[in-house]
Amino acid sequence: MLKTQMPSPDSIKQREDQIMPRSASASDSSPAFQVEHLSIWYGQKKAVSDVTIDIPEKTITAIIGPSGCGKSTFLRCLNRMHELVPRTRVEGKVLFRGEDLYSPRIDPAMVRRRVGMVFQKSNPFPTMSIAQNVLVGLRLNGVHNRRLLNERLERSLQMAALWDEVKDDLEKPGMSLSGGQQQRLCIARAIAVEPEVLLMDEPASALDPLATMKIEELIRHLKKKYTVVIVTHNMQQASRVSDKTAFFYVGELIEYGETRRIFGQPKEKKTEDYITGRFG
Amino acid sequence: MNRTRHILHDFQSALESLRADALMMASLTDRNLQNAMSCLLDRNVELCDVTAADENEIDSLEKKIDQEGIDVLLRFQPVASDLRHIVSTMKVSANLERVADQAAKIARRSRKLTMEPELDEAGALGPMFVEAINLFRDSVRSYADEDPALARTLRSRDRAIDQMNHALASVLTARMAVQPERITDYLNLIFIARHLERVGDHAKNIGEDAVYSAQAEDIRHSENSFYASG
Repeated sequence: MLKTQMPSPDSIKQREDQIMPRSASASDSSPAFQVEHLSIWYGQKKAVSDVTIDIPEKTITAIIGPSGCGKSTFLRCLNRMHELVPRTRVEGKVLFRGEDLYSPRIDPAMVRRRVGMVFQKSNPFPTMSIAQNVLVGLRLNGVHNRRLLNERLERSLQMAALWDEVKDDLEKPGMSLSGGQQQRLCIARAIAVEPEVLLMDEPASALDPLATMKIEELIRHLKKKYTVVIVTHNMQQASRVSDKTAFFYVGELIEYGETRRIFGQPKEKKTEDYITGRFG
Repeated sequence: MNRTRHILHDFQSALESLRADALMMASLTDRNLQNAMSCLLDRNVELCDVTAADENEIDSLEKKIDQEGIDVLLRFQPVASDLRHIVSTMKVSANLERVADQAAKIARRSRKLTMEPELDEAGALGPMFVEAINLFRDSVRSYADEDPALARTLRSRDRAIDQMNHALASVLTARMAVQPERITDYLNLIFIARHLERVGDHAKNIGEDAVYSAQAEDIRHSENSFYASG
């Protein structure tokens, strides 16, 4: 288990590379994740059943399906977040750039550093300012260089399309922002530590339409730098933002492919019936 | 149509209403084509006037279908087979309107012909009329029954109508030289044959839309794929 505090982002990356080599398979052509025969149980209940899927680099992959189909559980297993739920059991493999995420030598905290997550409800730290919220991850990792922190603060907020709106109010509480701004603040916080993947669990479901459109635009923009996996109940959103779509039903991966094909001409009847609203 | 019903009743109703209007439009268009044939072959002046008047009803239905289609797209954001079906229905409706337009043009020219002594050659258009109406009916059936195999047979039958048009045009042009005082009447017959040829084109288009709706395959302008297995 890693306990060392790291003084700079470069040394963080060096340490990460020792644990999960970045360069070995980080090309855009190879998959970011290779999931093989993954099954997940909560106690006796099987939430995900024998899922095999490759998630490519620098693409947006949407996971759709009715409530309880295992899509959020699947998402969380990509950064071992589901382990926070008691009595969870996993079978199968999740390879991140060729490295088995569930190998005993892998530190879950390190996985979550490199595979960031944005949740359904925006959750800025209530006692922190906008700037503190963005930089908290870096500070916890031992980065205190003010110039570096300022650079990262501006870059993260710009990438989250929030800089122009908050640049004069960086010391105001994060909670003073609107719902849509708070969600973008959380995205800025997630990308401040420079993860390689962003997992998003219904990131716009609590937002109004305009804020939703801004988040979707941001997600499309983030694709240039990150691999994005997004769980959404909103099929129009999935068809608007994603390159690939996976349809889950009762814990199983029913169909996976190019989003245009899934929403235009799905191969499986279950997919067709779900996306056209004939069940769900 | 063997589609599972949609769980949203409003969406299901909207889809059914759109389909019902398209089939009503097809039925009226079919009647107009038959009336147009009767105008020419039976020299029925009354039907000539009815056919021209009925075109307005079909025009109104075309606008209604477009409005309904846009409403469904806006309200329900359909995908997959629902989206294809709605888009195809709107395109089918445009083709139906054009078929009805051809029927009205035939009726108007036939009415002019009834004012003159009957030409023996008018009867020669009978087989072409029958082929065009059958082709049109099969195109509507391929759309209504979602029968891409039937739809894929339409292009070759449209070509057969094209050939009938060419053959008739040659015969009628030759007759003009023999009876120059009836040139106008022969020209009307030539134009009627051309209108029927256009009916065949629109029927073929409806078949292409039926294939797209059922199989998500765009077979327009693709000679080879049209004959692929249905």
